[in-house]
Amino acid sequence: MKPMTKENAIDIDKSVDINNEMTNPQVSSLQIPAEEVKIKAEDVRVRYGEKEALFGINLDIPQSKVTSFIGPSGCGKSTFLRCLNRMNDTIDGCSVTGNIHMDGVDILSKQVDTVLLRAKIGMVFQKPNPFPKSIYDNVAYGPRLHGLGNSKSDMDEIVETSLEKVGLLKEVKDRLLEPGTGLSGGQQQRLCIARAIAVDPEILLMDEPCSALDPIATAKIEELIDELRGSYTIVIVTHSMQQAARVSQQTAFFHLGNLVEYGETEQIFTSPQDERTKGYITGRFG
Amino acid sequence: MQTTIFTFTVLLLAFIGYYMGRSRAVATVSGDVRKLHSLPRHYGYFVALWCGVPALVLCVLWMLFEPYIVNTLVLSGVPNIDPDASSAVIARILSDVKFLAANGVGRGADDPVMVAAAEHYTHLKTVGTASLAVAIIAFSILGLVIGSRRVGADLKARNQVEGLIRWVLLASSVIAILTTIGIVGSLLFEAIRFFGKVPFTDFLFGLEWSPQIALRKDQVASQGSFGAVPIFAGTMLISFIALCVAVPVGLLSAIYMSEYATPKVRAIGKPMLEILAGIPTVVYGFFAALVVAPTIRGFGEAWGLDVSSESALAAGLVMGIMIIPFVSSLSDDVIRAVPQALRDGSYALGGTKSETVTQVILPAALPGIVGGVMLAASRAIGETMIVVMAAGLTANLTANPLQAVTTATVQMVTLLVGDQEFDSPKTLAAFALGLVLFCVTLCLNVVALRVVAKYREKYD
Ligand SMILES: Nc1ncnc2c1ncn2[C@@H]1O[C@H](COP(=O)(O)OP(=O)(O)O)[C@@H](O)[C@H]1O
Ligand SMILES: [Mg+2]
Repeated sequence: MKPMTKENAIDIDKSVDINNEMTNPQVSSLQIPAEEVKIKAEDVRVRYGEKEALFGINLDIPQSKVTSFIGPSGCGKSTFLRCLNRMNDTIDGCSVTGNIHMDGVDILSKQVDTVLLRAKIGMVFQKPNPFPKSIYDNVAYGPRLHGLGNSKSDMDEIVETSLEKVGLLKEVKDRLLEPGTGLSGGQQQRLCIARAIAVDPEILLMDEPCSALDPIATAKIEELIDELRGSYTIVIVTHSMQQAARVSQQTAFFHLGNLVEYGETEQIFTSPQDERTKGYITGRFG
Repeated sequence: MQTTIFTFTVLLLAFIGYYMGRSRAVATVSGDVRKLHSLPRHYGYFVALWCGVPALVLCVLWMLFEPYIVNTLVLSGVPNIDPDASSAVIARILSDVKFLAANGVGRGADDPVMVAAAEHYTHLKTVGTASLAVAIIAFSILGLVIGSRRVGADLKARNQVEGLIRWVLLASSVIAILTTIGIVGSLLFEAIRFFGKVPFTDFLFGLEWSPQIALRKDQVASQGSFGAVPIFAGTMLISFIALCVAVPVGLLSAIYMSEYATPKVRAIGKPMLEILAGIPTVVYGFFAALVVAPTIRGFGEAWGLDVSSESALAAGLVMGIMIIPFVSSLSDDVIRAVPQALRDGSYALGGTKSETVTQVILPAALPGIVGGVMLAASRAIGETMIVVMAAGLTANLTANPLQAVTTATVQMVTLLVGDQEFDSPKTLAAFALGLVLFCVTLCLNVVALRVVAKYREKYD
């Protein structure tokens, strides 16, 4: 429990104001058994300097499933995603309050080592961002940072299995030493996924992983997400509602820094409870 | 004085032309400005340009050709000049004539031919200036009349003015380019003259440099020797020391400023670093000669080393400090141009800041950094003031940074300072050194700029 400091008190005062103005209590139809909860977020608030971006998010993410975040641009999906691996730490002036537990460990606490945390939580970005290194070195980057694969043969194996898992191995087998930036967009994105799973994470965060890709590359990534689902807990931000419907089991709808509705994907898309969700899904705004 | 008066007259006429053109244009449409093709001021510019430009062109032509015409006329009045006389002899005769004309005394004051030539010269000058004045004023007035005659509602004054502006801009660029070509050309020309006297291979590969040429033929060492190897070796040694200082310090400070510093520190720190680039090199020169060199010598003595008081080390260290801003600000630019996505990628895999910098950012920025270092190197090689003040004069072929060495720039300065004959190998050697230096820095710059540009493309 956090002690009630003066700062907290002010925060809460403010948030009450805001809540009165612009949020309804969130609708959540989802009942996840406690032992299946991988990530538990409680009252997560984020501000960038003076500007508040998230107004108290409560969300449970189940293990070994795909959870998608949808919502109009600027509603805070990426911001929330970045809270989960503490990437917001790298942004000047960004402050995160609230609690996020992963397997019962409070990952927002100061004691948590972000290096180890990020080894457990991989991230894939909107634009494929392979390092300007060889394909091999791209995949080996994470394992080297964390001291995995000490011998050459171990490392080779890690690289090969990671590429195999993303279905890239047979495409790039003969050119592992060529630069990763020379691949096509879709291949680059799969390389980035391989790079993330090379350190054997438990969770994969994907921030609009297909928005820079063509439909065929997108289909491949979606297929891949489906395959990876059993071994990893996946959280995906997407702008495409069809994509959310295709790949995810749970869907959370964000709006203006609030989590408006969270439920089974099927239920969200067929019978949304909240007016705003309904409006967004039927394309009336967003 | 006369030039000033001409200029003012023409400006005044152009000014009058502006108002004439303007008011005439307005008058032709009896005040309804919308009937004019262009704005009233365009008609003003139009007449002013008609008034000023022909006069200006005339003036420029005059300045280009007047000396040649006058010289030819004067020389034709001086009989018995050897037709094969070298240009230097003719130039001396001319300068004697001019001196005589200006002062009434001097060499040849008792030679009637020279006195006559001097009078001829004075006469030509007076007539020429007077006719120029008349011609300029006449041209201006003529331009004023023609220009204002043409003003009317249908005259496309705006387009004509725009067209002329294009020509003016073109002319400026041409001047800049021609000047550069001229400078390079004269460098090349003089250097070729030098290589006519001293074989090219002796210059490039000779190991001994002592350009002093004895005044009397029978003196010892009457033949200077022009082996440039020690000089270029000295240049390289000092530049190398400078880069050894500037590259690590500049690069590390760029990394700090771009990756670690808070925006506040950066806002103060970066301009401070750039102030270094604004210090005049002569100030670095004193600093090298008066502070650094004695200090190094003192240290050396304490360790029992023999340090020259004009050691390469002192000059190189200070030059290194001077080029830190080049390295740091260019590196800073390229480091900041590395996309944030790459940093995020590394952080998201659990990379720490220093791991991200060394394994992702620096490799990505490396081509740009190399380009920056090459630009800094070309700066160091061409730098003059610091080495003139702090490096030695004698050409030593050594790799020991504690000894005095000399550089190409220092030698050029010493070769050209003082009274010189313009066709002795000693003077011409400076052009040859300059040519080699120019080629080296040009290559460095071209390669560096290409590298930097290529790197930019990659991330845009
Ligand atoms: N680095 C940042 N600095 C300041 N404000 C930011 C930053 N990143 C995001 N924001 C703001 O936070 C809000 C949520 O942004 P984001 O999480 O990127 O939205 P989404 O991913 O849903 O489109 C937006 O209003 C955005 O302007
Ligand atoms: Mg986003």
